[in-house]
Amino acid sequence: MRRSFVPLAFAAVSVLLLMVAMMMFMSTPVLAQENPTATPIVAEAGTGAIQLRYWNGLTGSDGVTMNEMVAKFAEENPEVSIRVESMAWATYFDKLLTSLVAGDPPELFLLHHQEIPQFARLGVLGATDDMFDYAGGPLPAADFAEPIFSATVYNGVRYGVVIDNHGWGLWVNNDLFEAAGLDPSVRPANAEEYIRYATLLTLDANGKHPNEEGFDPENVVQWGACISWLKPTFLSTLWQFGGDIVSEDGKTATINSEAGHKALQFLYDLIYVHHVAPPPAGFDSWQTFAANKLAMIPEGTWFRNFVTLDNPDLNWTAHGLPQWGDVRPATWVSSHVLYWPASLSGEKLEWARKLAIYLSEQGLYWATSGQVPGRLSQRAELDPEVFPSNIAIGRAFEEYGVPELASPYSTELVAAFEPEIDAALNNLKTIDQALNDANDRIQAILDRGG
Amino acid sequence: MAAAYSDVGYRRIQLLKKTLVQIVLLFIAFVVFFPIMWMISQSLTPNSEVWDWPPQFIPQHPTLENYQTLFTRQDLAIGHWFVNSLFVSTITTILTLFITSLAAYSFARLRFPGRDIIFFIMLSALVIPAQVTLIPIFLLMRDFKWLDTYHALIWPAMANVFAVFMLRQFFLGIPRELEEAAILDGATRFGIYWRIILPMSSSALTALAIFVFLGSWNDLFWPLIVLNRLEMRTLPVGLTVLSSAYYTREQSLVQAGAVIASVPVLIFYAFFQRQILKGITFTGMAGM
Amino acid sequence: MQKVATGPTLQGRIGQFQFTLRRQEAVTGFLFILPFVAFFVIFRVWPAIQAILMSFRQWEVLMPEHPYIGLNNFRELMNDDLWWLSLRNTSLFAVLTVIGNTLISLAAALVVIQPIRFQTLYRVVFYAPVLLSVSSVCVIWSWILNKEFGVLNYFLSKFGIAPVPWTADPNIVIPSLSLVTIWWGFGFPMLVFMAGLQAIPEHLYEAAKIDGANAWQRFRFVTLPLLRPTILFVTVTQFIAHLQVFGQSFIITGGGPGRSSYTVIMHLYYTAWRFYRMGYGAAMAVALGIVMIVLTLIQFRFFGRREEE
Repeated sequence: MRRSFVPLAFAAVSVLLLMVAMMMFMSTPVLAQENPTATPIVAEAGTGAIQLRYWNGLTGSDGVTMNEMVAKFAEENPEVSIRVESMAWATYFDKLLTSLVAGDPPELFLLHHQEIPQFARLGVLGATDDMFDYAGGPLPAADFAEPIFSATVYNGVRYGVVIDNHGWGLWVNNDLFEAAGLDPSVRPANAEEYIRYATLLTLDANGKHPNEEGFDPENVVQWGACISWLKPTFLSTLWQFGGDIVSEDGKTATINSEAGHKALQFLYDLIYVHHVAPPPAGFDSWQTFAANKLAMIPEGTWFRNFVTLDNPDLNWTAHGLPQWGDVRPATWVSSHVLYWPASLSGEKLEWARKLAIYLSEQGLYWATSGQVPGRLSQRAELDPEVFPSNIAIGRAFEEYGVPELASPYSTELVAAFEPEIDAALNNLKTIDQALNDANDRIQAILDRGG
Repeated sequence: MAAAYSDVGYRRIQLLKKTLVQIVLLFIAFVVFFPIMWMISQSLTPNSEVWDWPPQFIPQHPTLENYQTLFTRQDLAIGHWFVNSLFVSTITTILTLFITSLAAYSFARLRFPGRDIIFFIMLSALVIPAQVTLIPIFLLMRDFKWLDTYHALIWPAMANVFAVFMLRQFFLGIPRELEEAAILDGATRFGIYWRIILPMSSSALTALAIFVFLGSWNDLFWPLIVLNRLEMRTLPVGLTVLSSAYYTREQSLVQAGAVIASVPVLIFYAFFQRQILKGITFTGMAGM
Repeated sequence: MQKVATGPTLQGRIGQFQFTLRRQEAVTGFLFILPFVAFFVIFRVWPAIQAILMSFRQWEVLMPEHPYIGLNNFRELMNDDLWWLSLRNTSLFAVLTVIGNTLISLAAALVVIQPIRFQTLYRVVFYAPVLLSVSSVCVIWSWILNKEFGVLNYFLSKFGIAPVPWTADPNIVIPSLSLVTIWWGFGFPMLVFMAGLQAIPEHLYEAAKIDGANAWQRFRFVTLPLLRPTILFVTVTQFIAHLQVFGQSFIITGGGPGRSSYTVIMHLYYTAWRFYRMGYGAAMAVALGIVMIVLTLIQFRFFGRREEE
């Protein structure tokens, strides 16, 4: 037994050591090459003595763009060095929480406006009123686009510096539009037109449209529309029908209002009555769009990366979100906002502020990430040849954008209703039941908050 | 009836039967191994082709590009993560084996008041789900100032009741005579444990080593929560960072990372599978 | 005082010597278990007590106060339909996985224990998936199970079978995750069964053969009864492990469609780590612990009966 054990152990250990040695050798940057779409996970910028850590959830090519901006800042300011750490949003929230609990948060971190109350309530965010000209600061408040700028105030105190606005638009496939005899530069004006377009754009294996005799909904090869990410699609539709998930005073759940029913019914009918959109579960809307088998997709401003960098052959047009509801146009808007912890002080705070100002001024550069600049002066300068989606969707934000509800329970509220809407749209629950369940859950959260 | 078969015919039928069984078994083995082959194959496919339809089972343009990217790009710390994982898992395994075998020897051989009660309390802790203690241990780590250090990964793993139980069962099966002779020669208890018991338990220790090592190597949730700095991360945590929640841009890169994470343990197991089986057989774990 | 009382008789001396030896042994015994017990108390007992205490408080991370609220967390839990839903999903998953795992690993063990050709290959291949981390397993299987672009549906389409929504149909999603888990894990119970099979004395089989028992009868009347403790061990440990399923549904389905694959640990994770309600999370963990203990006891009654007789 022991005779065979010793040489085997020896062999295995040496194999492992060999692998480690190879990896050590290979991790030297001799063969380093630039990969424009790859995501840097840790990026060091500068070598200055003042060290800042900056965390964000940008793991796409937007992360690369962010790192380039930070690197330029560090170049211009040799006394500072910045360590950018990007992680997937899901992981990021856990990490941020634990770093705050451990009392060692990063000097700068990027979040959305809707998380302000959740963190501000815990007293961990630094206030930023003194960054703006109304309180003697360097940033011109009037240049920051609404409705987001007002949404960064909680209990009378402003938090963070807005870097961008991002949100929901409609992306269409030009080739499929033209093949169906439609003009991709014209956005469907209302619900009927949207359904009419989608019907013309949906084909089964026999080339039949959903409004034709013998159409086979089980065997669709090209979809006219889809639900995409539930949260923004549903919220936008709900607002368009004049509803919201909670009442204005924030005390009552209102998702099962008449507007809620109409909104959910509209999305449901797209799938099960008009047969122009697939049930959302398991449907990969991005890849289907890339494969030219999906004509219209509600997606975020960040979709620009996917259709330009990853799939340069696609012919696409971006529009502001169409008005499906019968009350008002509305589209979901969120934003990336840069924060620092309340505990930050001295030299590091000074440099965190400087970097925030710098990044807020780089909106045009940041536009390559697909997002809409947070400042109006930068929006005016966007080149229509290069940034058509930023311009079209950005204009919609200004006209009818609705910021996602900022509440101490934002995360919990979304987690409360999203699976219910998902259940209804996958035919697991009736619309009534789903909305009532969602309403009960939201109400329970609000009641607990007192 | 049996007499009707000639000897040659009987052998032929046996051979045919064996071949058939082998074909079926090889097919099953292929099916079981397919996902792993698929992972390897994708890691060798250029990222632009991983979504091809119909799927490419054998990459049409095989490339080591993904591996090269993983290792050469300084901003992707997979080399770091690998070394971290190796370091943490190795130290955890060695320390756990030492501490638990010492305790197991004591429980198996030494008489002291309260021994059986302590052992019983310990065993009943096996049913406490890890999830109950996750949050308090996290707060404990904070108070110890161990967050974001390897201490947080290594020391809590020492409280491995399963290991003590398994080794105690094994030690009970070792004949006492050897130890008695050593005592007459004036050996200390620690000397007996170190020079007689441990060398005789190599197979049980190997089996345990791979379980402890695997547990530590593949653990995701705990390191995700206690580690902050990215260069501190272990491989599984690093891998989740590569794949973002809703859409994975660099699928083939993720697969290459997964290959790197699993190949060392696969090799290790292939070498030691006999030892591991022996270890399990003799521990009496199967006859709990 | 002692010395005077014992007196310098020979017997007294021997007694004292033995006493010293025994005391030495006891001291050594304590010293040997000391490091382990220290870790055990710090990282198992103390946190368990803490968790129980926490479950009686409104304990939110980063909040300065953690007010005592008695049984409110448990009361809320009893009325939390997500808790019950996740418990139902998790139990279904655990039952399916444990049954599948036990049957498949037993069958595999019965095969690879035979002196067949390529024996080592099979042993290595069948155990290989165990060595993968949960994230690797999920990355691979998300892709295999994808409805539109997945390999599994690609193979099925070759036989003219329409695409199956593996992770999109509420009735299929848990069996799908269960399948993934069985693939991932059956190698370990296989090893345990192999060990159990090796421990069965060969002469029992020979005796059965002489009595004219065929292969099935030998399995039924020799192997199975003698394997009972092993089966108990496998089912109990597997059940405890699979009730704590998290990664598979978190990564592959995100708990969907709807909440069809939402599990207890996912619920706990969201509550404690996303919504920062650690007191309620602790109550959930304690409740899960109780469920596990009860289920373990039931299994002992069910499978362990034979041994007591």
